[in-house]
Amino acid sequence: MATTAEGFDVHSDHGHDAHDHADHKPGFFARWFMSTNHKDIGTMYLIFAIIAGIVGGAISGIMRVELAEPGIQYLTWWAQFMGGGNDLNTALHMWNVFITAHGLIMVFFMVMPAMIGGFGNWFVPLMIGAPDMAFPRMNNVSFWLTVAGFFSLLFSMFVPGGSDPGAGTGWTVYAPLSTSGSVGPAVDFAIFSLHLAGAGSILGATNFITTIFNMRAPGMTLHKMPLFVWSVPVPAFLLLLALPVLAAAITMLLTDRNFGTTFFNPAGGGDPVLYQHLFWFFGHPEVYIMILPGFGMISQIVATFSRKPVFGYLGMAYAMVAIGVVGFIVWAHHMYTTGLDVNTKMYFTAATMVIAVPTGVKIFSWIATMWGGSLEFKSPMVWSLGFIFLFTVGGVTGVVLANGGIDDNLHDTYYVVAHFHYVLSMGAVFSMFAGFYYWFPKMSGRMHSELLSHLHFWTFFIGVNVIFFPQHFLGMQGMPRRYPDYAEAFHFWHQVSTYGYYIMAGSMLFFFVNILYALAAGKKAPANPWGEGATTLEWTLPSPPPYHQFETLPVITDANDYHDHRPVTA
Amino acid sequence: MGQMHTRMKLASLGALAALAAIVAPVGAAAQDAAAPATTATQAGAVDGAQTAPGAEALPGNLTPAEAAATDTQGEAAYTPMAPTKGKGMPTSFEDDPVKSLGFQDQYSNIGDYARWMHDSILLPVITAISLLVLGLLLFVVVRFNRRANPVASKTTHNTMIEVVWTIVPVIVLVVIAVPSITLLARQYETAPADAVTIKATGYQWYWSYTYPDNGEIEVVSNMLDHDEALKRGEPAQLAVDNRMVVPAGVPLRIQTTATDVIHAFAVPSLWFKMDAVPGRLNEKQLTIKEPGVYYGQCSELCGARHAYMPIVVEALPPAQFAEWVKEQGGTMPGEAEAPAPAADAAPEQVALLTAR
Amino acid sequence: MAGTANHDYHILEPDIWPLVGSISALTFTTGMVFFMHHTPATETEPAQFGFWPIVLGLGIMGLIATFFMWFRNIVIEAQRGDHTPVVQLHMRYGMILFIASEVMFFVGWFWSFFDFALFPTPLSFDEATGATTSLFGQAGAVAQFVPEGMKVLDPFALPLLNTLILLCSGTTVTWAHHSLIHGDRQGLKQGLWATIALGLLFSSIQAYEYSAAPFGFGGNSYASAFYMATGFHGFHVIIGTIFLAVGLYRSYLGHFTPRQHFGFEAAAWYWHFVDVVWLFLFVAIYVWGGWGAEYH
Ligand code: HEA
Ligand code: HEA
Ligand code: CUA
Ligand SMILES: [Cu+2]
Repeated sequence: MATTAEGFDVHSDHGHDAHDHADHKPGFFARWFMSTNHKDIGTMYLIFAIIAGIVGGAISGIMRVELAEPGIQYLTWWAQFMGGGNDLNTALHMWNVFITAHGLIMVFFMVMPAMIGGFGNWFVPLMIGAPDMAFPRMNNVSFWLTVAGFFSLLFSMFVPGGSDPGAGTGWTVYAPLSTSGSVGPAVDFAIFSLHLAGAGSILGATNFITTIFNMRAPGMTLHKMPLFVWSVPVPAFLLLLALPVLAAAITMLLTDRNFGTTFFNPAGGGDPVLYQHLFWFFGHPEVYIMILPGFGMISQIVATFSRKPVFGYLGMAYAMVAIGVVGFIVWAHHMYTTGLDVNTKMYFTAATMVIAVPTGVKIFSWIATMWGGSLEFKSPMVWSLGFIFLFTVGGVTGVVLANGGIDDNLHDTYYVVAHFHYVLSMGAVFSMFAGFYYWFPKMSGRMHSELLSHLHFWTFFIGVNVIFFPQHFLGMQGMPRRYPDYAEAFHFWHQVSTYGYYIMAGSMLFFFVNILYALAAGKKAPANPWGEGATTLEWTLPSPPPYHQFETLPVITDANDYHDHRPVTA
Repeated sequence: MGQMHTRMKLASLGALAALAAIVAPVGAAAQDAAAPATTATQAGAVDGAQTAPGAEALPGNLTPAEAAATDTQGEAAYTPMAPTKGKGMPTSFEDDPVKSLGFQDQYSNIGDYARWMHDSILLPVITAISLLVLGLLLFVVVRFNRRANPVASKTTHNTMIEVVWTIVPVIVLVVIAVPSITLLARQYETAPADAVTIKATGYQWYWSYTYPDNGEIEVVSNMLDHDEALKRGEPAQLAVDNRMVVPAGVPLRIQTTATDVIHAFAVPSLWFKMDAVPGRLNEKQLTIKEPGVYYGQCSELCGARHAYMPIVVEALPPAQFAEWVKEQGGTMPGEAEAPAPAADAAPEQVALLTAR
Repeated sequence: MAGTANHDYHILEPDIWPLVGSISALTFTTGMVFFMHHTPATETEPAQFGFWPIVLGLGIMGLIATFFMWFRNIVIEAQRGDHTPVVQLHMRYGMILFIASEVMFFVGWFWSFFDFALFPTPLSFDEATGATTSLFGQAGAVAQFVPEGMKVLDPFALPLLNTLILLCSGTTVTWAHHSLIHGDRQGLKQGLWATIALGLLFSSIQAYEYSAAPFGFGGNSYASAFYMATGFHGFHVIIGTIFLAVGLYRSYLGHFTPRQHFGFEAAAWYWHFVDVVWLFLFVAIYVWGGWGAEYH
């Protein structure tokens, strides 16, 4: 509304008169704190995700350093640093606080904001030929609610969760550890953090679905949309339908903690396992929410650098839909050891394995896209190749875990930790870096250094594999998760894993230096730096695109099949 | 610096071992195919011991330590069995690089089958799939890079191949599902009526074991601190003061519950893990093949000292188990002054609660 | 031509309320934490979080201000003609999706209700003290959803009346809608007045029923599921009533035309949603959940 904006020196007549042009930007405060522009909001999401990634990655560093040796080395110091006592129990509690914060930050404040908030905001409108999102103002509140959630989580680390600071419940916040097991405000702050971020995500999901269904440029039918655009509404639906159930579950935690309800308290007839059902009904779709946009980015990149249209477009699109649908009926594979009865376990074993089929379709279609192509190994492409391999490794260990009888031994061991870091810290994160290097020139108007990004790839690739491959061995040998201290027999592989962390941490320097270098001294990026393989609409615009793009909507004619998403005139 | 060097050396050894692990499955498969047979004979031996109660039939392959423990049976008081290195506990890389990469050796009926299923079906399958994907990627990188193939084809469809890569994974999954379902069915076989019941209760942060069939004796089990464990010749972090003592070779009915938060009773070398949930009694059967000391750890986040509530299962020959029970002031079922079996109340609740 | 938007989408000017709203939301949740953990001073310990009313109050005020300004802006934009047909379509999508997420929120509460109802544990309830005791593990204890000795509300008394009230309100809101479509401003106002009145009546009866219920909030799973599910429903009824009241106010201002009145329609959709949730609550919790238990 114009009246509110005036006070902040914005261009206040939303006129479309001649001297107003597409690149007119509001003043600093209005631009960044009151934004209704999908690209600016996308940029803020990306910056926020990078900050959260640094925080979450630093916490994982604290964890890895502690785990390098058996015994408690540094936790006592950390306990005091965070304002806790000098005893062993506080130190041990700090471990739980760290893993909780690490898990929540990486999931809710790094991957989700980067993929959907960042890349989704930037490129969904550009790729469908829309001037902005459907609800620009709501878009902004989605972002700021995510930030608010992050602050709530940070608060939780510095207030008591009992006698000790922080919420030490694990990112799954299982009751009754999170209810009767943790007095003090910390867990309440963590719960509200999820409420806030969750509200932001639900609003964002609504926005993306509406945008994609209603704002496609003339001629851009659903079956002509680029696959990245397909990969956003599917997780958006998962968010829309799964997050409210989590909201209900964590509200039950709150009332159990503070108002005497007994949802999860057996003394009043409640059921702790109910919480797990509700959590995983959300939690499993959540893991696909984190990977589907990655799938979308990989599809764009592989096609671009193979100079070849993506293979099996429809299969690719509907495989994502299938993954999303089946993702809703497999949740109890996280609960095989809770005492499910045998038929339930058999059902969830079978249902879970089904997801390997559509996922396999995607893996093989990417390879088929490259088959016969003319491959160019620019940095986004090498990250994509890394993704395809490492995601497969993570996916197949998921299939191992899917077997209820096998999971009886592996559940809550480092094998699970290895599994989900292969799909997340390598799958999701590799696709994010791929997407970042792919679109960085478009977003910033500057070229990054290909040398640095290749160095980043190779060192990161080695680092994360050294961190997480040995964790399979630890898990099979019986090393439980969420342990700050362990038997001597696990020492060697833990130490190797920590060495991997150092390699990975060093590798991130290439990333940061690269961004700074590019912003400061990078070559100016052309509209399309990637050549003829890049067939989506964003490459028809200058780099960076004007503040308001597509003031005249592009027209995609029927002559363009679904492999070329550009307007005929471009 | 010197230490650094050894570490580096070990690390490269580790990498080699990892490679070996990837190449090994075929060999492992062959080995494991043979394994169940030997198992069967062992189980038979133990069964024999069971059908002839009181007889001195001891299962074979006892370590000297165990044998020593058995010798004193009858006269001396119960002394905790000395653990055997590498049995019922994790193996370090330094002790055995190859063993440190996989599952612990299994000492339960379920464990053999499960481990066979993993090592001979799952591991080869997932290794093959990963290598297939890697191989295809390397192939396209070499064959279809811009220099090798300057002009890209425009192929975007091939119904045949798409059908193939949908159907073949389905078949692979069915191949996995069959033994997987079998494994589940076996795990859920109900324990026979005369199985020995042990109820494990999780507390923050220790375990207690009660024996409803043996006069409700209770064992409270706390972790030994680091030095004490080493002094007793046990692995630090895993050892406890009072163990959960059970008979080997006979079916056990393990029940778990908790009073405060959720814990999980887990022993990797017995392929056993079951959550201990407040307000609920979980139950599963378990048969331990041979005497030994089997270490496990709490496997559900339960607060600060989650890492400090290990589990030690000591399996004794049935006769010695009976001795132990007497020593604890308990009774064996069927004995004169046996109290009304408390387990009777349990099945109702179990049915009631596990239905959820 | 650059700078000329040749499309019907709604490009908005920068707006401060998203930021204010988020800060208010964080202030509100922080205030809630302080409220839940405040303790009065004792001889040894100073008071904790005694300032919670300030934080919570600021948060609530900020949220109310945000909602007010936000919707005010939307109304102004609507009146200005920014809501082209495609923008109206967006709003329809937005509202449907929002209601879908609300449905899933209630799925969570129903899930817990059915978990307790279908897999009960043995409990006993002491009417005098209102305390619940678990009989878990006691021989002969019978598992039943409504704790032994606890009375529940008679579904065929006030709850049935409330069902009829809500059903009736569903017809009055449709009456208002039809009047609106046929250009009958008077009928629109009457229908809305009637709907709002029925909504308020429902809420009052519900409040009365809570105050007279034979069991308190929490303490056992029946009471927990009952109060939280019906409570959240009641909260939604209040939101829906406010939503309709805004529609009524706008109909006095003459904002709605027979062709463009999404503000009204959204409120009506929401009202129907609230209505349907009640039907499920009534059938599942009041009738089926209390079946066989003694009525109050
Ligand atoms: C991006 C996130 C992500 C993704 C994509 C996945 C994907 C999968 N996950 Fe994973 N998972 C997590 C994140 C993810 N997971 C997390 C975070 C946890 C732990 C949560 C916690 O407890 O904290 C977890 C835990 C977890 C468990 C519980 C383990 C336990 O706690 O005991 C299980 C069990 O079934 C499981 C299974 C699977 C399966 C079957 C897939 C499948 O979707 C994988 C499918 C992919 C492939 C199979 C590879 C490609 C396919 C082919 C090349 C075709 C041919 C293949 C075959 C025929 C097999 N996961
Ligand atoms: C996306 C999710 C994600 C990611 C990326 C990571 C990354 C890492 N994780 Fe984490 N982890 C979890 C999710 C994740 N983790 C979860 C859910 C748990 C379970 C928690 C629980 O038990 O409750 C867990 C638990 C967990 C454990 C087990 C703790 C325990 O059980 O006791 C360990 C131990 O080594 C660990 C280590 C690491 C390490 C070394 C990394 C390193 O790879 C970190 C390196 C850092 C990065 C890779 C981030 C770099 C990214 C950016 C800087 C942003 C870039 C942004 C753009 C390009 C836009 N993690
Ligand atoms: Cu007890 Cu973990
Ligand atoms: Cu899952």
